[in-house]
Amino acid sequence: MRLSQATMNLGFVRKVEELSGSSVRRCFQCGKCSAGCPMRSFMEHPPNRIVRLLQLGQFERVLSGRSIWYCASCETCSTRCPNKVDLAAIMDALRKCAWDAKGPSKESNVQLANKLFLDNIRTYGRQYEMRLAAGFNVQSGQFLKDLMLGPKLMAKGKLKMFHDKNENLPEIEKIFRRIAAMRKNGEAL
Amino acid sequence: MTPTPHLLNYSFYPGCSLHASAREYEVSTRSLFRALRIGLREVPDWFCCGATPAHNVDELLSLSLCAKNLELADKVEGDLAVACASCFSRLKTAQHRLKVFPAKARRVEQALDATLSVDKPVKHLLDILARDFGLDRLAAAVQKPLAGLKVACYYGCLLTRPPEVPDLDDCENPTIMEDLLRAVGAEPVEWSHRMECCGANFTLSRPEVVRKLSGQILGAAQAAGADCLMVACPLCHGNLDIRQEEIAKYAGLPSGTPIFYITQLVGLAVGVSSLRLGLGNMMIDPKPLLKGKGLI
Repeated sequence: MRLSQATMNLGFVRKVEELSGSSVRRCFQCGKCSAGCPMRSFMEHPPNRIVRLLQLGQFERVLSGRSIWYCASCETCSTRCPNKVDLAAIMDALRKCAWDAKGPSKESNVQLANKLFLDNIRTYGRQYEMRLAAGFNVQSGQFLKDLMLGPKLMAKGKLKMFHDKNENLPEIEKIFRRIAAMRKNGEAL
Repeated sequence: MTPTPHLLNYSFYPGCSLHASAREYEVSTRSLFRALRIGLREVPDWFCCGATPAHNVDELLSLSLCAKNLELADKVEGDLAVACASCFSRLKTAQHRLKVFPAKARRVEQALDATLSVDKPVKHLLDILARDFGLDRLAAAVQKPLAGLKVACYYGCLLTRPPEVPDLDDCENPTIMEDLLRAVGAEPVEWSHRMECCGANFTLSRPEVVRKLSGQILGAAQAAGADCLMVACPLCHGNLDIRQEEIAKYAGLPSGTPIFYITQLVGLAVGVSSLRLGLGNMMIDPKPLLKGKGLI
């Protein structure tokens, strides 16, 4: 990696710090976050290296990889950091930046699941797991995924077929619209 | 005849899972609270807290959904009882971050077009049972001690982490579940994976993650000699119960270890009929175990 003013985007570090409410610069690479991370083996960059890459202004490498989408938000890293770097919040901030940039990452399944989940809130107000799973299978092209589970869940009364009417749906829609307007006007982070 | 007065009263945010995949958690919570004379009044037309997907990609949306739900809860009497560990964590996180970051609070007010009213105390059912109702009163209410039942208490991530948010118990070595179980006569086992992540909502997008992480949890509980696990989170339950056959096969373990909700085991001990604890909704049938121990 060649480091120079031209290859380091330090403005991005400040954005991540503002979004997450946590310092990125305070990390001194003790590695406790990665030692306790249950998802480390699924990531190409373990959590401590993500922070180091950020400190060096290498945001493109961070956003285009799959590591940020494989964080489970288990909060172990934030709990154990001796310097109070809130890495779980930093991961949220990084995913938001990737999401707003229309997802340069190759990890599409997690992003699809997130999108369907948020669409469900806007449409029904609550989650309906069967709709979520059916939508995911169709849109990810895995039509047979968990096919055998469906009837078993049904038999155990674990699938809700019809959604409840929710009086607050118009209010939820307004929240989504106001946030979209704030974002357009540069008033939201 | 006037109904028996309640000893305690709470507003109640069940969360989405309790209406579907975690039906037994809702059924057993309502039965247990009725038996203990603890009032629960559901917040009318509550909606999804946003869970992990919202805070994953849009903190403003996550905070706004939680703040609006807290505003709705404010209109119902009593501290807010929450069953799901994830809803609990999101609502508490929103309260924490809105307090610590005034700039975020201003943006959420703009998104809601209202002044914030988010200060109602939010309590997980564990907190209500072990502290508000209290272990002594609970022990006194036991009709059928869970003697000889070896239970692995599984906390997962969000009941205790990060330390400044949930305010429920120690973030690395909690004991509230074990305390609760000892009060009703069960035997909590010592084991290694109480606080490890089950793979959470990767169950939808990347089930191989759940197979690996939940497989390690199931294996550790079985190795410690547990008859069953006890959880307080619908997502942990889904991964360990609904996917148990699959994860056991993948990890080379026997399946058939029942996964109980806290309210099912405590309910059984205080004499709630087993028909009102949602035992029939569990994928891993707990009846052979409970019959073997003479508990049903």
